[in-house]
Amino acid sequence: MEQILEILFTETWAIRALIASMIVGLTCGVLGCFVVLRNMSLVGDALAHSILPGVVFAFILVGYSALGFFAGAVIASFLTAIGITWIQHNIKTKNDAAIGIVFTAMFSIGVMGISFVSKSGGVHLDLKDFLFGNVLGVSNQDLYLTAFIAVYVFLSIIIFYRYLFATTFQPVIAETMGISVRMVHYFVMLLLSFTVVASLQTVGVILVVAMLITPASTALLLSDRLKYVLLISAFLGLISAVIGLIVSIALQTTPGPAMAVTATVIYLLVAMFAPRKGLISRSIRKSRQNRKINLEDILKQSLKLNEKGKLNVLNLTERITFGHSKLHRYLKYLNANKLIKMEENGALSMTPAGIEEANQLVRAHRLWETYLVARIGLTEEQIHEDAEKYEHLLTEEILDEVDASLGYPRTDPHGSPIPYKKGWHKINPLSNTKIGQTAVIANDQPQQIISRLWEMRLSPADKLEVTARNEEAITIQWKEIKLKIPNSLAEKINIEN
Amino acid sequence: MDPVIKVEGLSVSYDRKRVLTNVYLDLHAGNTYGVIGPNGAGKSTLFKAILGLLEINTGKIRVEGSTIDQKKKKLAYIPQRNEVDWSFPAIVMDIVLMGRYPHKNLFQKLNSLDYEIANDAMEELGILNLKNRQISELSGGQQQRVFIARALCQQAEIFLFDEPFVGVDMTTEDRIIKVLQRLAEEGKTLLVVHHDLSTVEAYFDHCILLNQRLIAYGPTSEVFHKDNISKAYGPQLPILHKTGMIE
Repeated sequence: MEQILEILFTETWAIRALIASMIVGLTCGVLGCFVVLRNMSLVGDALAHSILPGVVFAFILVGYSALGFFAGAVIASFLTAIGITWIQHNIKTKNDAAIGIVFTAMFSIGVMGISFVSKSGGVHLDLKDFLFGNVLGVSNQDLYLTAFIAVYVFLSIIIFYRYLFATTFQPVIAETMGISVRMVHYFVMLLLSFTVVASLQTVGVILVVAMLITPASTALLLSDRLKYVLLISAFLGLISAVIGLIVSIALQTTPGPAMAVTATVIYLLVAMFAPRKGLISRSIRKSRQNRKINLEDILKQSLKLNEKGKLNVLNLTERITFGHSKLHRYLKYLNANKLIKMEENGALSMTPAGIEEANQLVRAHRLWETYLVARIGLTEEQIHEDAEKYEHLLTEEILDEVDASLGYPRTDPHGSPIPYKKGWHKINPLSNTKIGQTAVIANDQPQQIISRLWEMRLSPADKLEVTARNEEAITIQWKEIKLKIPNSLAEKINIEN
Repeated sequence: MDPVIKVEGLSVSYDRKRVLTNVYLDLHAGNTYGVIGPNGAGKSTLFKAILGLLEINTGKIRVEGSTIDQKKKKLAYIPQRNEVDWSFPAIVMDIVLMGRYPHKNLFQKLNSLDYEIANDAMEELGILNLKNRQISELSGGQQQRVFIARALCQQAEIFLFDEPFVGVDMTTEDRIIKVLQRLAEEGKTLLVVHHDLSTVEAYFDHCILLNQRLIAYGPTSEVFHKDNISKAYGPQLPILHKTGMIE
């Protein structure tokens, strides 16, 4: 390893190779984001392959020259872009087929050209170098050209960032804003062909597409904002190129493939371990969700059994879909969280907190059933299964909206009462007031209570004065009305705090 | 008063198939036009023509007396949600700020005023608390509101809404209605492609009934009646029975 590092920092060819790789990694990383987001991976591949005849003809005309190759490559990719667009517009051939036809033709002409040149001349022009790169043979002239192209690409992306953002996200809107989507498209193609030429020496025409799309796809798994995606992708491109180069020197293989493989390994690692979009975190989320559903099912079934006075492990096992050992683990968890109390002898009882939690599930279930009948028009027979699923998924926020849009129903379509929202059932009952105190009837009342109040000519927001009370009833004064309200009713009338 | 949009003898065809034939319209500021017609009536085509997105075979369109190309800044388009890749790496703020792009030349950066305008727009649509949310995490109604907030940032004079009420929740529908009302009060010209015939009278003071040619246009109370609706919908009449528009 030390030996390699020494080579990298002392040998001129190695320093040139390192710098060239870094620049190419950065450039491909940044531009690659747009290639991926604009679904241009195939176009990128096509442009990369199609520069070959341009390079060969440049070689025939002016010999081995970085600038000559550059000019030839740009002209070839221009012809390719025009050829593809022309076919797409004038002949009824599918878009990707048109791309395939043009680039394979161009590539083949290039390959034939190379064999022709090497047969006739005796000069050295190795097809392999074009296909897979030859970064160890980078000249100073190559290096300047690569750096110049990189600067040009970066500046273009910075200056035209908004144009690129708009046309990539929503071309129609970009067009209505006066941005020419077609011009931006050709501009991206131009940047792409420049970048391909810059990468020719480093990774070659076949693998440049790996440097364009792999770091970008990796970055897209790591961030949700284009700016950061660009930065991350640039960084990943850079380290893929550098690590690939080091590996290739160590193993004495071709650098281009080593870079592509490095980029792919990083991609796979990120695909596994990415914080939110990675496979592992997704499966953790899924198993957490399953666990939550199972715990909630236990709570709900316990509540039902509890109401019948039949809450025990045996009855619970009959009502759930998973095994006994799992149930036992979950019960331990619920016990630790003080939702279900488990005695030494295995007897179960629900804590007040557990009842409240379970009631929230019942609330979700019954509200959703009510919603399906009232708003979607399903019948009572059709709704239970759906509600079984959604009771675990609906957030409190959504439930509140459902509740409000239904006008705070008190019973579900089957006639069962819908429990109050968490906290709400802790009503402040009228029965708690003392003589001489004033009480304001709260807005939030069960429907039955509102009708009872109505019968007594009372309604929410009325201010009552408590004038007397005894063991059976509480006497209130409201305007001229004096009323005796039985304690059994007073306990259910909610007053404001 | 001169019309804000003047459509004169507009005809459009795709691949030799006529989509719009000989449409004349004078649209005035402060009016909200419901654009009504069956599928394939050319509603979207009319929008695209006004937005300058397609080549017009015959006829011409004038916006404030000039060609569309000179008046692009005056037009804001709110497309349907399904045309977009919502997994795109952007947050709500990024999308709303797009509305400021037409006001910037190549080398101008977005400044604090632009951010303020974007914030106000998000506030008006009730999505300010979502401004750092990735766009794929939004509900359909919220996505629709993001597009409308962006259009507000464009500070345009003419707003073209393509079916803004499709697949949105009631909160969103209410917000959109309020925005439409405010814009109309400020003298903007609004065009809204709309499918739900039962709400046309409540939402739009003017109507444009289309079915490849212009059936009628004008104040809703004058043109939105049985005869015109049957003319516009023709063979699709059974749908109307369902909506209760026709006995």
